[in-house]
Amino acid sequence: MAEDKERKVLGIISEFANIGAGSAATALSHLLDVDLMNDVTTCEILPLSKVADWLGGGNQIVAGTYTYLCGELKSGILVVLPQDSAVSLLNHLTKAEIDLSSLTELQKSALREVGNICLCWYLIAVSRMIDIDMIPAPPDATVDYLGAVLNVPLATLGAKVDTVIAVHTSFKALDRQFDGYFLMLPEESTLNIILERMGEHCK
Amino acid sequence: MNDLTVVGIAQLAVSRPPSRLACLGLGSCVAIILYDPVVKLGGIVHVLLPKAPNHYDQAEKYADTGTKKLVDEMIKEGAIKARIFARLVGGAEMFKAVNLAISNIGRDNIFEARKVLHQNSIRIMAEETAGKRGRSVYFDLDIGKVTVQTAFGGEKII
Repeated sequence: MAEDKERKVLGIISEFANIGAGSAATALSHLLDVDLMNDVTTCEILPLSKVADWLGGGNQIVAGTYTYLCGELKSGILVVLPQDSAVSLLNHLTKAEIDLSSLTELQKSALREVGNICLCWYLIAVSRMIDIDMIPAPPDATVDYLGAVLNVPLATLGAKVDTVIAVHTSFKALDRQFDGYFLMLPEESTLNIILERMGEHCK
Repeated sequence: MNDLTVVGIAQLAVSRPPSRLACLGLGSCVAIILYDPVVKLGGIVHVLLPKAPNHYDQAEKYADTGTKKLVDEMIKEGAIKARIFARLVGGAEMFKAVNLAISNIGRDNIFEARKVLHQNSIRIMAEETAGKRGRSVYFDLDIGKVTVQTAFGGEKII
């Protein structure tokens, strides 16, 4: 029975994540002004401590954008781009050679904006679906070790959060493959609200 | 790279040569590194939060209880308190704009660790703390060398 329930929850969450990721991809394709083919979106529910391994180890360098919801729903949100995907995106946006170790203010701002747009459109899609407003705080972006990026949600939410809705999406654009990870870290009460509302939606 | 033990979040390790200890990807987390050069005994605790609540699950998760436990473990393994010295690494502020609304956990972690070390009369030899960059740290127990790396190749020995 427990397994059955788990599978059902994963099904509901996958639906939730897919619609969000689709919306984020559309927004990104407008921002970049290119056609974008969404390839695969996979979704997992993970304990917080397993996230670094799922993403391929804490010692790799990634671009992360972090914010949290401050409305009725409480959740941390982290958009993670692997190094090569971040470089290609910034390269296309700013039309300049990108060195992640010494980003200019403009490039940093562009990175923050990419993360911001992706996460906001994800939130818009899912909040329409469950009919609850989600209000994100202004996000911030950084390029650093994955482990260090994950420290922040771990430390600020660690006491209240144990479940992470982790979405991996890959898409084709500009003649290459991009990867993006979208991590939602809801407090337990928020996760229950989402499941409840999505349950109704699925009926 | 033999005998490298990675000390994860909320973990503690005390060891002797030839093994080496490491903490990978420290953000606001702090690694408290103790070493007794005479018996070549070294230990690391990788803490996440500054202060333990009244009913805490793991002592190693918090800077105050974690540091205390590391000192006790070192002494149990044969170190002498007067010979132990400490080094602190980590406690960065990763997302500054977001942190405006929350408190600076990295800074609080360092502060709590310093306080406990001071209460135990343990010297802090070096610190590689605060700032905005994440760090990885490698601890060679044979000569007590601590190497701190930042993303994009910055390396420093403390």
